[in-house]
Amino acid sequence: MSFSLLDFFTHPILRGPTWGTLFLCLSSSLMGVILLLQRRPLLSEALSHTMWPGILLALFFPIPIALGGILFALLGYFSISFLEKKKVPSDTALAFSLASFFGLGVTLASALQIQKPKAYQEVQHLLLGQAAILDDKALVVPALLTLAIVLLLLFRFRSIQLLLFDPAFARCSGLARKPLELALLALLLLSLLSGIRSVGVLLLSGIAIAPAIAARQFTNRLQTLFLLAALFGALSGLFGIWLSVWGTTVLSCSGSLPTGPTVIAVGGTIALLSLLFAPKRGWLFRFFRIAFFRLKCIEENVLKTLWKQGTLSFSTLKKTHCIPFLRYILWRLQSAGWVEKEAKGLVYRLSPDGVQKAASIVRLHRLWELYLTSSLGLGKEKVHGSAEEMEHILTPELEKELTHHLSHPEVDPHDQQIPSPRRL
Amino acid sequence: MNPYWDTNLFSFFLTLLSRLFSGALFTNPAADEIQLGTLSLVAFSCGLLSPFLVLKRMSMFANALSHTVLLGIALAFLLSSALFGATLLQPSTLFIGALLSALLTALLTEGTTRLFRLQEESSVGLIFSLLFALGVIITTLFTRHIHLGVEAVLGNADALQRSDLFLSGLYALLSLGTILLFFRPLQISIFDRSFALLSGLRPQLLHFLLLFLTAGLSVSAFRAIGLLLVLSFLTGPYLIARLFCHRLSLLLILTPAIGIALSLLGIALSRHLLSLYDLPLSTGGITTSLIALTWLVLYFARAYIPKRKSYSITHNSANL
Repeated sequence: MSFSLLDFFTHPILRGPTWGTLFLCLSSSLMGVILLLQRRPLLSEALSHTMWPGILLALFFPIPIALGGILFALLGYFSISFLEKKKVPSDTALAFSLASFFGLGVTLASALQIQKPKAYQEVQHLLLGQAAILDDKALVVPALLTLAIVLLLLFRFRSIQLLLFDPAFARCSGLARKPLELALLALLLLSLLSGIRSVGVLLLSGIAIAPAIAARQFTNRLQTLFLLAALFGALSGLFGIWLSVWGTTVLSCSGSLPTGPTVIAVGGTIALLSLLFAPKRGWLFRFFRIAFFRLKCIEENVLKTLWKQGTLSFSTLKKTHCIPFLRYILWRLQSAGWVEKEAKGLVYRLSPDGVQKAASIVRLHRLWELYLTSSLGLGKEKVHGSAEEMEHILTPELEKELTHHLSHPEVDPHDQQIPSPRRL
Repeated sequence: MNPYWDTNLFSFFLTLLSRLFSGALFTNPAADEIQLGTLSLVAFSCGLLSPFLVLKRMSMFANALSHTVLLGIALAFLLSSALFGATLLQPSTLFIGALLSALLTALLTEGTTRLFRLQEESSVGLIFSLLFALGVIITTLFTRHIHLGVEAVLGNADALQRSDLFLSGLYALLSLGTILLFFRPLQISIFDRSFALLSGLRPQLLHFLLLFLTAGLSVSAFRAIGLLLVLSFLTGPYLIARLFCHRLSLLLILTPAIGIALSLLGIALSRHLLSLYDLPLSTGGITTSLIALTWLVLYFARAYIPKRKSYSITHNSANL
C-alpha cells in the first residue's frame, strides 16, 4: 500500500502518528533552543530518565502515568539543582541523578514484572516508544502544549531573551520573574512527558537538541533561531515519519523501521550536515576561508620578495619560499597582472601594478612597526614578527587611521623608507 | 545447590565468611559469588576511574557511551553473522561491538567538539542520540525485536557467568596498573594544565587514555550490571567519598572501597528480599538505589559529625 503526501495528514491510520510527531518535534525543538542557550543541553536527557521510576510507581497505584512521570521529573530536577548548589560539577549532578533514578526504575520494573506482567509488557514500550499507536485523541495534549509554548514565546519574548542571555540582570531587574522560569520548566517537563509514548524515555533528548544545534549554525538572532529550530524539527519529524512508513512498506515481511529512532536519526543527520556545510559557521566554509587567507599571505610574501630584490629567477625564489606549489602561485600573480615573466627562462619581475601592490604591503608592514615602537613602546628588535602577520590583515581604513595617528611618517624604526600611499 | 538459598541479610554474610575460610569460595563458586565478584570488580574499576572522570567533567560522556554501545553490538552482530554465521549475544560479539562503539563515540564526540567548535555537552548529546537511534533502528530491522537493545543497555546482573568474572577481573587489573602508572601525570594535568604542558606531560594524550579506559570499562561492565548502572558506580561512590575527604590519593582508595561495600550490601539485600518476601528484584537496580540512598543519608548525617577544617578541591580547576 502506498500513501500520497496528503495521506500522511488525513488518512485515519497515518494522521495520528504524523500530527503527533509533528507537534512533539515542534515543541521539543523550541524547548531545545532554550536548553542549548542555557548551556545545559543534556538536562532533557537526565530528566527524561528520572521520569521512569515515576511512571512505574504510578502503575502500582491507581494514579495516571503522566502524574507519576511529571512528579518524578520534578523530583529529578530538584535533585540536580540541589547537587549543583552543593558544588557538584553539573555533569556529575546530571549523571548521578539520572543513574540513581533510573536504577530505582529498574528495581521497580523487576517488581512489576512479577506482580503485573501485563502492565510490564506495556510499560516496556515506553522505553523506546511507539508512534504508530498514537490516535486522534492523543493529539490534544501535544497540540495544546505546542500552542502554549508558541504563545509564551510570542508574549514574553523580551523576558525570555533576557533570561537566556543575562539571567543575573533578568533577576535583579525584575523583568523576568520566578513565574516565568517556572513556566519554562513546566513546559520542558510537559514536552518531555508528551514524547514518552511516541519516542520513549531513552531517546527523548535526541529530538530536542539536534534541531537547535542545526539552527544555531545559520543565525545569530534569537527570533530566527526559534523559527529555524522549529522548521528543522518539523522537517525531521515529517521526513522521519515518511521514511519509517516507506521503509516498513519496502521491508514489509522482514522487519520494520521504528518511527522514533528514525525521526531522531534524520534530525541528527540534518544537524551534522549543517555543522559541515552551513554558510559562514559551517566547517567547509571555515576551511576554505582559512585556505584562501593562507594563499593570500603567500602571494603577498612573494610580491614583497620581488619588490625588494628586483628581477629573480625561479630557483632563487624557490630558495626563499620553500613551498611546493610556487609555480602555481606565480601563475596566479601573473594572471592578476602583478608579475611579468621574462621572455627567456624562468625569470620573474614585478609589473608596474605589482610594484604598487607590493609597496602598499611593505607600507603596512613598516607602519605597523612604527606604531608598535612609537605608540606602544616596544623595542624595535621585537616588532618584525608581529608586522609580518599584520601586513596581511590591516584594512585600508586602519591604514588611514594609522597614518593619521602617526602624523604621516616617512621612515620606519629601522630607518627604512615607508613607501608613500598608493595613488588611486 | 546454591548455598545462599533462603538466606537473609545476616546469614548471607555468615555463609559468605564461612565459605571464604573453608575455601569453597574459590574451588566451586556459587552463582551469588560470581555475581558478587563481578560486581565488586566492576565497582573497583569504576572507583579508580571515577575521580578522574568527575574532575575532567566526563560523566555525561560515560552516559553517552552507555547508550551507544547498542550500535556497536548491532554492527558487530551484523558483521559476524554475515561472516561466520554467529548467533547474537555471544560474548565475543558483544565484546568487539562494545569496544567498537565506545571508540566510535569517543572519536566522534571529540571530533565534533574540535572541528565544529561545539560545546562539549552539545556534541555529546548530538552524537549519542544519533548513534543510539541508529543502533535501535538496526537491531529492530534485523532482529524484529526492539527490546533486545534495551536488555543490553540495562544489563542483567542476575545471569552472570564465570567468563564475566574473568573479564571484569582482567579489566580491574588493567585499570589498577594504568592508574598506578599514570597517577602523577593525571593529577598534574587535571589540576594544573599549564604546568603539565610546560613539564612536557601531554595532557591531550592523558585525556585519550581516560577515554580509552572509560571505553574499556563499558566493555567489561555492560553485561555485568548494565551501563546505566555503571554510571551510578562512576558517580555515586565518588560523591559519597567526597563528603568525607578532599585528597585525590585518599579518594582513589575510598571510592573503590565504598563501591565494593555497597555492591556487597546490594547483593545481600537482593537475596534477603528474595528469601523473605519472595521478591526477585533486579540486583543492579537495588545496588544503584542503595548508592543513592547512602549518599542522601550520609549527606544529612554529616551535619552531626564533628568536622575537621579542610581544604576543598575546586572543581573549576579541571577546565579542559
